[in-house]
Amino acid sequence: MIELKNVVKIFGRRVAVDYLTLTVPRGVIYGLLGHNGAGKSTAIGMMLGQVWPTQGGVRVGGYEVTSHRRLALQKVGAIFEAPVFYDYLSGWRNLEILSQYSGPTAPARLREVIDWVGLTGREKSPVRTYSHGMRTRLALAQALLPNPELLILDEPGDGLDPEGIHELRLTILRLNRELGLTILLSSHLLNEVEQLCTRIAMLNQGRRVFEGPLAGIRTERRWLRLRAGDFAVAVRQLLAAGLIIADRDGVWIEPAPDTGADRIVRFLVEQGMAVFEIAPEEQTLESFYLSLMKDSRQKSPQF
Amino acid sequence: MLFLQLRNELRKLFGKPRTYIGFGALLLIQVLMVLLLRYSPASRGMVRQMESNGYDAGQYLTSLTIAGVMLHPIAFILLPLYVTLIGGDLVAKEAEDGTLRMILSRPISRFRLLLVKWLAGAVFSALLVLMLGLVGVLFARCFFPWGGMFVFVPGEMFSVLDASAGLWDYAGAHVLLAVKAGTILSLAFMFSCFNVKPAAATILALSVVFVSFVLMQIPFLKELQPWFFTYYLDLWRNALMQPVPWWKVNESLCVLAGCNLTFFIIGATVFHVRDIKS
Repeated sequence: MIELKNVVKIFGRRVAVDYLTLTVPRGVIYGLLGHNGAGKSTAIGMMLGQVWPTQGGVRVGGYEVTSHRRLALQKVGAIFEAPVFYDYLSGWRNLEILSQYSGPTAPARLREVIDWVGLTGREKSPVRTYSHGMRTRLALAQALLPNPELLILDEPGDGLDPEGIHELRLTILRLNRELGLTILLSSHLLNEVEQLCTRIAMLNQGRRVFEGPLAGIRTERRWLRLRAGDFAVAVRQLLAAGLIIADRDGVWIEPAPDTGADRIVRFLVEQGMAVFEIAPEEQTLESFYLSLMKDSRQKSPQF
Repeated sequence: MLFLQLRNELRKLFGKPRTYIGFGALLLIQVLMVLLLRYSPASRGMVRQMESNGYDAGQYLTSLTIAGVMLHPIAFILLPLYVTLIGGDLVAKEAEDGTLRMILSRPISRFRLLLVKWLAGAVFSALLVLMLGLVGVLFARCFFPWGGMFVFVPGEMFSVLDASAGLWDYAGAHVLLAVKAGTILSLAFMFSCFNVKPAAATILALSVVFVSFVLMQIPFLKELQPWFFTYYLDLWRNALMQPVPWWKVNESLCVLAGCNLTFFIIGATVFHVRDIKS
């Protein structure tokens, strides 16, 4: 659905996106993660034809955005950076104006979408009277109006309260499940991304440092938490036997390839050691993200 | 589609209180000027002027004459000010507010968006000039009688017209004044397409207009006047001359059409290569 190939974007002397290659398959909820200034918004800007790549190709829906922007965005709905509206006009009028940049929109379709995002009854009020949550819903409504197949949401939960974030999460899941939309989501809220996305990409300093299914990150590392009679002795013996390759924090061990927890427990019991607990490390997206960023910083001399 | 988008652009434009600053200010100034001309000794000079030329002041100190007198300072200073205010806002304000990002997430080409915005600006200019003409003559009519039109600008213009011819010329002058307003708006619109704040676009456009006008007034540069675009902006005054110098009107119209096109193309080119990002 979206394809970025060796995309580079340079603003003055700053490289915002550095040879970024990314593929968002149809039907997934795809998370784009990274710290502030990592290049997420620039990448999204290029997908929407608002930022011109210095080098490389950006294709959306099979069309090159730089040369066929209109065709590429025909089936795209987006919230790019903070949603802003004409405050002095009503929600209805805002939707009408924005949707008619895509094509004529029937009032019935406007009503349908307003109902879908739960703004019925407030659509005729000026947007200046809307709460932050209502503005987010209005932004979602304008993105949904052209009957999109792809939804690009740049930090959609920014500034929302926990209830609003929960509501937004349910809406995004509904859009994906009920309407079959492909959704590209950039967010700082790792917990949200973890609950929503099936596939993620992480950016650091404009470079992709990880790309893959979210489920995959849980198997990236195989640390086990070990509570034994004497951890230091246990580690020494396991290392000598070649069953583990590393340990850390007085509680974690990293098994050697092809070594399972069962072999480790058996070995320790055979050595006469008490084993109270052995369990795989439950790696959250947050811990994965932090360790990846730490690795990336260590590798990058200018960071 | 273009009509729908233009209608929406006008809704946005006329939904903003800021748009009415020009209408309100011009209305107020015209009312003040009419009252001053009616109740102060200011009109005595006009009466002397008419009588020294052998015309009956009672016949020519009319609503049309007063509306014509008011037109000169307004067209020179106030009209450029209010159209640049709106022209400078057209693109730059949307970029500053962030609504441009919302629009350009849609499958509309940048060129088409600019075309719609420019058309909305042209409609605004025409309406502002229409209001200027109508309010001028109608309010003057409340305090001065209907009759012929006396136009006198020392060293430049002298016309005496009956009521019917005066009204036609007055209307014609406003049609040409709308062209002036539209051209100045195009200049502000061009700057608005650059990556600048709306106020900067307005100030830049006003600066170009006034600097160009000041340069034209330098005696040593008189010969170069036709090279300044402001030279052609006064085409509306030709409509009040007797006889109307049509060749001059046509020449000005051609030059200003070229200016409008140039401003639009420069603006659109700069806007096209710009990155839209906060």
